[in-house]
Amino acid sequence: MFKAFAKGLSITFKHMLPGHSVTVQYPHVKLKPSDRFRGLHRLVPAHDREKCVACYLCPTVCPAKCITVESAENAKGEKYPRIYEIDMLRCIFCGYCVEACPVEALEMTGAYELANYRRSDFVFTKERLLK
Amino acid sequence: MVNLTIDGKQVTVSKAATIYEAALEAGIHIPVLCYAKKLLPYGACRVCLVEVEQMKGRLIPSCTTPVTQGMVVTTTSAEINKVRKTVLEFLLVNHVVECPVCDKGGECDLQDLTFEHEVYPNRFTGEKFALPTDEVNPLIERNMNRCVLCGKCARVCDEIVAFGSYSFINRGFESKIATAFDRGLNCEFCGQCVSMCPVGAILPRPFKFKARPWQLKEVDSVCGYCGNGCTVTLGVLKDKVETIRFNDKTGVNDGNLCIRGRFGYSYVNSEDRLTKPLVRKDGKLVQTDWKEALDTVVSGFAKARAEKGVGIVTGARLTNEELFLLKNLAKAMGTGNLDHSGGESYKGVTEGLFETLGVTASTATFPQVEECDTILSIRSDFYETHPVFGMVVNQAVKRHDAHLIVIADKRGKFGKLPHAETLLAKPGLEVNILNAMAQSLLADGLAITDGVEGVVELQAALADYTPELVAAQTGVPAAAIRAAAQQLAKAKKSAILLAYGLPYTAHSRELGIAAANLAILTGIPGREGSGLYLCGEKANSQGAIDLQIVPGKEALDSQSMFQAAAAGTLSALYIVGEDPLTSYPDRKKIETALDKVPFLVVQDIFLSPTAQQADVVLPAASFAEKDGTFTNAERRLQRVRQGIPLPGEAKTDYAIFELLAGRFGKQVSFTGPEAVFSQIAASTPGYGGIEYGAIGPQGVVWGGDLLAVKRRKVVAVAGGKPVETPYQLITGSSLYHNGTVSTRATGPLAVIPSPFVELGREDASTLQVKEGDLLTLRANGVEIKLAAKIDTRMPKGVLFAPYHFSSAGLNRIFTGQAAVPVEVSK
Ligand code: SF4
Ligand code: SF4
Ligand code: SF4
Ligand code: SF4
Ligand code: SF4
Ligand code: FES
Repeated sequence: MFKAFAKGLSITFKHMLPGHSVTVQYPHVKLKPSDRFRGLHRLVPAHDREKCVACYLCPTVCPAKCITVESAENAKGEKYPRIYEIDMLRCIFCGYCVEACPVEALEMTGAYELANYRRSDFVFTKERLLK
Repeated sequence: MVNLTIDGKQVTVSKAATIYEAALEAGIHIPVLCYAKKLLPYGACRVCLVEVEQMKGRLIPSCTTPVTQGMVVTTTSAEINKVRKTVLEFLLVNHVVECPVCDKGGECDLQDLTFEHEVYPNRFTGEKFALPTDEVNPLIERNMNRCVLCGKCARVCDEIVAFGSYSFINRGFESKIATAFDRGLNCEFCGQCVSMCPVGAILPRPFKFKARPWQLKEVDSVCGYCGNGCTVTLGVLKDKVETIRFNDKTGVNDGNLCIRGRFGYSYVNSEDRLTKPLVRKDGKLVQTDWKEALDTVVSGFAKARAEKGVGIVTGARLTNEELFLLKNLAKAMGTGNLDHSGGESYKGVTEGLFETLGVTASTATFPQVEECDTILSIRSDFYETHPVFGMVVNQAVKRHDAHLIVIADKRGKFGKLPHAETLLAKPGLEVNILNAMAQSLLADGLAITDGVEGVVELQAALADYTPELVAAQTGVPAAAIRAAAQQLAKAKKSAILLAYGLPYTAHSRELGIAAANLAILTGIPGREGSGLYLCGEKANSQGAIDLQIVPGKEALDSQSMFQAAAAGTLSALYIVGEDPLTSYPDRKKIETALDKVPFLVVQDIFLSPTAQQADVVLPAASFAEKDGTFTNAERRLQRVRQGIPLPGEAKTDYAIFELLAGRFGKQVSFTGPEAVFSQIAASTPGYGGIEYGAIGPQGVVWGGDLLAVKRRKVVAVAGGKPVETPYQLITGSSLYHNGTVSTRATGPLAVIPSPFVELGREDASTLQVKEGDLLTLRANGVEIKLAAKIDTRMPKGVLFAPYHFSSAGLNRIFTGQAAVPVEVSK
């Protein structure tokens, strides 16, 4: 019985040794999330504009209704999102928008540090989402 | 009736039905692509294939196959679905699938069918269409790379619009829909093709990339332009009317509209709308609040009332409820000087009809005309003033082989229809021809005279109007007049169409009577399927007549009010929803009146030229911002519904009238249009028993489909005298505009952006003018300049200029005559 006790404790103590801890010293140390992590959105850029063609599928599918798209016609006669905004305060990071996008213009990145001081800073405009 | 079985269900339908229609009646859905309720069966797409027990071995297109007794139909099976799927696969081989940027996405029949039949992936591959697109047209965008060759656009434009813009060209893979010589569209821009196209090949350009269909709020209302009273469905996005949606479930227009209804909505969103009341201070109109504006109005009217009185002139685009409140307001203000639409325009015709038939409205409804054998249209302009009723006439001619007779001073669209005959007379002589037709009927014993008063007198009075004599005056062959009269007499179902409006004031009483005479002598009133149609120019012209928005006893009518104002014997004018300076005949008179009248209040949605002269301007509501009812030219009461909020501080005419009535000590608070309507129903002849809530999608026709006439009395009227100058100018309505408000709408302006004068080729070469040259027209010492438009429509010596544009100054020379003698020079 003592043997088993010692064995158990040895595992415990092993974890106390350096290099065995799972806790990271955030914010000094940051973990890289998995590739499938659903963090902040990113609009994929194309040559001279965003890839998004303002099809309205993501705002339609979004269960939190946090995406605002307004389409317009650009100088070349193409459909483009004059306004593209996501309100991160309402977003539930379900990823439906990414799934809905027919032209793969929207992705979710690993960025998860979204805290901010002002409510308005949580609204990500097209420019911010394209970065 | 025929009995058949569809998917095991017993169905009984009329023997004219197709399998598709029978299934629809039984509640069974068969997918379709090229079928449309209002078009003739075509069978182009083969999506609607079904299996019929009696025709085993192949699948049958249900949309073109008539039902037969005992038919056993199966609408879905594994095999049928496979074939349908293959059909779709074939369509998708060449189709450029770009749903994300295609505005049809979300209401595209191809998209829906593809989804329903799970057509992905496609077993076939092939070359995609790479055809040039038309994205420069301001109203209709065409992208034939998305076309499924269903032919609906070509069919609707031919069968219903009778314009014939499109047809299929080339063969096989190269087949496509194109205009003549594959050029840009140059048509009526009614947008019927837009509403018919099941895919995104023909789209409304002003709505391009604006929204997805599911984002729009749809509001069923009535077009605010003409008396045709087409139902429209407003597509509202973020409190703005962004488009007009196709809807064939409401009204009797089958979803058909004209350019004004379909593309003329943009004025409601205009930046130029009045949003705040204005009062004149130190000679300038400045913005103010409602309190000050109303105080000024009330004290001004009170003062005027104590002096020489107030006159009220209204337009006919107010709802019935608003007109009713206006009438109450006039009573509260103690004035009988109340009139609408310039007085003249409706007065003559209604008086004429009342004298002969005892009614002041159309005696039948629009859909009945589809079945007519003979139709007589007075003036070729009828299609221009009431295009969608015109489309009913097109269908009567094209589908029912109706005989169409047009009495006109210029050629028009009607004249191009098969069997149509235009009796082309010199301007102002329509009555002479109608008289001659009546004369010939009486002389040949073809007239129906049983129970008709005044026949002997009429016969005697018409001695001067034998076809031969009239032929000599008008230039219309006597034989043609006789033949037309005979056509009308022998028809079992016939219609006589007469439109009225601001530019058609001359001889209006005579025209009303002459038309009614002919109707009586050919047995039209009261006969099933026949009718005499009196069609007003504005959305609620008929309502204004029904509600008696007319001068009281010994009070001034509109013309007399302006006369009195000009002579200094009227102290105030209240003009609601009209721009007399632009649209009433004789601008000089109106100018003097507005100038001289001590107090002028104008209530409008824009700062019109008339409003600019006002002492107080009250901002009102457009048709899209109010609730109520309109009565159209066939007496159909329909609901107008508010789709968008009022701009700024503007108020509905309803609210303004109520406020003012309160200030004049007649505080009657109605809970809303419904309460007002019950009062209207109680006090308006013919409206009794109609309930606001019961006015459904199809409206309610007061007086029933066939209006009972009170008498049949023919009355002799004198014809006109031809104008004997080398050139004469006639005015009227242009197809693309209605009244003056359409000149603020981008759609109609895209086609007719500015005023013009139209003349024939012959005159053009005599005068040596080219298209677009400025022509100087001189009459009564006044000169106006208009750009020339040259075509083949105008007879020699006759010029036509539409009256809508203020800048044209047409009413400087047009003072109400049928034809203005003019001197023309370059
Ligand atoms: S689904 Fe894609 S293309 Fe469509 S609006 Fe959203 S990001 Fe743009
Ligand atoms: S026509 Fe229909 S299927 Fe074709 S691109 Fe447009 S929405 Fe998609
Ligand atoms: S807009 Fe009307 S007239 Fe023009 S092509 Fe289409 S259906 Fe024909
Ligand atoms: S343009 Fe549209 S309506 Fe015309 S044939 Fe093609 S798909 Fe049919
Ligand atoms: S015919 Fe008259 S009511 Fe119908 S859409 Fe045109 S303007 Fe509107
Ligand atoms: S719907 Fe029947 S063939 Fe097209």
